[in-house]
Amino acid sequence: MSEVMTDEQKEAFVAKLRKEVGSTGTPTTARDPVNQPMIRHWCDSMEDANPLYVDPDAASQGPHSEIVAPPAMLNAWTMVGNVPRVNDPQDPASGVYAKLDEAGYVGVVATNSEHVYHRYLKLGDHLTGTVKLVDVSEEKQTALGIGHFVTTETEYLNQHGDHVGSMFFRILKFRPGTGRTASTGGDSDSGAERPPRPRPSRNQDTDFFWQGSRVGELRIQKCLNCGYLQHPPGTRCPACGSTDMGYVTASGKGALYSYVVSHHPRVPSFDYPLNIGLVELEEGVRLVTNITDCDADQLKVGMPLQAWHMQTHEDVSIPVFRPARAPRNPSTLTPDEVSVGDELPLCPIPLTPTLIVSTAIASRDYQDVHHDRDMALKKGSEDIFMNILTSSGLSARYISDWAGPDAVFKNLKIRLGAPNYPYDCMTMSGSVTAKRESDGEDIVEVSFRGQNSRGPHVTGTVELALARK
Amino acid sequence: MSLNYAYHSAIAGIGATPFTKDSGRTPMDQAVEACLAACEDAGLPPEKVNGMVTYSAEQNPEIEVARNLGIDELTHFSMVHHGGGAACGVVAVACQAIYSGAADYVLCYRAFNERSWHRFGAGVQDRPAGAEASEVSFSWSSPFGLVTPASWVAMFATRYMHEYGATTEDFGRVSVVDRDFAATNPYAHFFQRPITLEDHQNSRWIVEPLRLLDCCQETDGAQALLVTTAERAKDLKQKPAVIASAAQGVAEDQHMMRSYYRETITGIPEMGLCARQLYETSGLSADDIQTAIIYDHFTPLVLPQLEEFGFCERGEAKDFIRDGHLGRDGRLPINTNGGQLGEAYIHGLNGIAEGVRQIRGTSVNQIDNVDNVLATAGTAVPTSALLLSQPR
Repeated sequence: MSEVMTDEQKEAFVAKLRKEVGSTGTPTTARDPVNQPMIRHWCDSMEDANPLYVDPDAASQGPHSEIVAPPAMLNAWTMVGNVPRVNDPQDPASGVYAKLDEAGYVGVVATNSEHVYHRYLKLGDHLTGTVKLVDVSEEKQTALGIGHFVTTETEYLNQHGDHVGSMFFRILKFRPGTGRTASTGGDSDSGAERPPRPRPSRNQDTDFFWQGSRVGELRIQKCLNCGYLQHPPGTRCPACGSTDMGYVTASGKGALYSYVVSHHPRVPSFDYPLNIGLVELEEGVRLVTNITDCDADQLKVGMPLQAWHMQTHEDVSIPVFRPARAPRNPSTLTPDEVSVGDELPLCPIPLTPTLIVSTAIASRDYQDVHHDRDMALKKGSEDIFMNILTSSGLSARYISDWAGPDAVFKNLKIRLGAPNYPYDCMTMSGSVTAKRESDGEDIVEVSFRGQNSRGPHVTGTVELALARK
Repeated sequence: MSLNYAYHSAIAGIGATPFTKDSGRTPMDQAVEACLAACEDAGLPPEKVNGMVTYSAEQNPEIEVARNLGIDELTHFSMVHHGGGAACGVVAVACQAIYSGAADYVLCYRAFNERSWHRFGAGVQDRPAGAEASEVSFSWSSPFGLVTPASWVAMFATRYMHEYGATTEDFGRVSVVDRDFAATNPYAHFFQRPITLEDHQNSRWIVEPLRLLDCCQETDGAQALLVTTAERAKDLKQKPAVIASAAQGVAEDQHMMRSYYRETITGIPEMGLCARQLYETSGLSADDIQTAIIYDHFTPLVLPQLEEFGFCERGEAKDFIRDGHLGRDGRLPINTNGGQLGEAYIHGLNGIAEGVRQIRGTSVNQIDNVDNVLATAGTAVPTSALLLSQPR
């Protein structure tokens, strides 16, 4: 019955879907207890280097006194893995999904995940999750398609009956191909073939630079006699007069020295507003470049940047920069060190296919749309895309890299928007939005956002408990 | 360095076409009209002219202008490089030609349909990419979309704001001053159309931190100046505007509009070099200057020019401007013709003509007791400046 329904039919259909709202399904026990290999796999794929998850010595000094699992892994433990899904007729959520599939709403994306952590999971905790169907929405038109939101709430207990956490979860079941015309970000003319950027011209004096960029190297002219570096390159060293010129390969680390945001006139090769920066490399020279993967209002003189190479023509790449990932905070912030309004450093997350696939598998999410491009295309997606557990995991990593290893997550609430497709970059930003005492704990609330070229992929909040000195 | 020609020459005549947005005429036709008008202003038959100096971006060759003016012989003709940066440079070179005896009467001119034909504001996006150094230099900026003069200047502006705490409102105050003078200049495009700081702040972004009202106009029109010795000028129709000094400057690690690689980019060292030469050779100082034409293609670079010429300390131009010193009753009223934002953009030459009127006492916005006037040329490029004085 994938034909269009009348209003009466829709009403009857929703009533049918909602019959089980409020009831709970059969408790599902995790296949394995909380264990180090799965934690390690998660941390490796998410690039989360918090030692409390993997290093027994560090963990013994930490707030939990032993190894704990990353809190965002909460629902990974009870994921079914790569085995055929068996619909439990007793499970009200599965029943709703099946009815929706039958009615043509075969597309599925997760849209919200809200974790509450009563305590961190320790090695050996063996979880059981019990899902309750909380809500089924009316039919809605969304960017992805026409569909219904299905909301569940899962309570997690360990083998001793300790209530360790809960998850509020919402997915959209939609009819593929019924979405609003996909926006591709920016405000470029849709459909029009974009002319390439102005092609750099080169000669014998400058060719080394462009050859370097082609192979991913940022090369700066260096006098082989006195070591003087200069950009743009010349034919003779202005410091010592030598004509023996070579180059060094720069680290690609730099800081924003100045910038502009161009609006007019609009050259068709570019997206506007266009961020153009003057970057001072750590080697000491400056160059004009683009600052990618950040909004104009996130540009700040002095911000740390990292080079990458953007291919602009078949045989040309140009060095551009994005915000540099801030180093992980090895100590932990105290409540006194945090104020409402504090901004977290920007953090770019390049979305490689490896990241998307390895994190999906590390979170035990074997939905084909996260690792199989052919299947993703068939289900109406443009490509494989990141799964929601990874969005949670990367958000948690971002917050914990800023707050420090001993910050204790009390909850983690995220909402998804634009999908994370490969070859894009998601840049995390955040700020402290509240600070309070609760049950003798100092709680800090951080609001964060992960933005890709299409818009916000993830927005959310987290509450952390920070210990006083 | 002594610039032997200090006080030797004078601007004896000025002439211009109407400044429009669509002249409907060729630039050559306008060049000839402006040159004739300058000769008529001075009361000099054009055939007496034997020197012509113009500057790059000029598309009307002096030989054709001379032919149209009925000039039989030229003994000096030159083209000064770097567009608007040469606006005072053409006068400096005219002085050099006259002082050396290479010419007696020299016409300097600029004519273009810069609005209706070739808009400079579009930048170098279509610039062909050759292997010569002048083309290769654009490879360090154009592939990143930094293709317009506004964008080149904006890069300096952001850093200046960061280091000195200037704001876009300080840039806006320059614009408000220009438009205030333009409002009472019937020759200005923006005659009777003053703006408020709020108008400025509400105008759209062109290249942040530059708004529309920070950017000069694009204009069709022509301006010419007639230069001769101060002695000969006494025998002509107008009071001579004596050229106390005129100088050019290129400073260390200079690039065309994009000298971003110097230790600091908040000053304009090539303009500082001009200031040093002008003051040393004229014996004048900032205190001797009553009004100035400060090149205003884009407002942000007005601020460091005030600093380079010593009207205020480094980084303090914003305070000087906030105190109202550039306006009608200020310490240094600038761009009393309305500047290139308010009157017209004739690549700086129309400003020099206003400087001449201030010396003559004939400006529509005449400043009291003018002894000396400073005029500057395009900034961020290799540049120039001059000082005009009352005849002795």
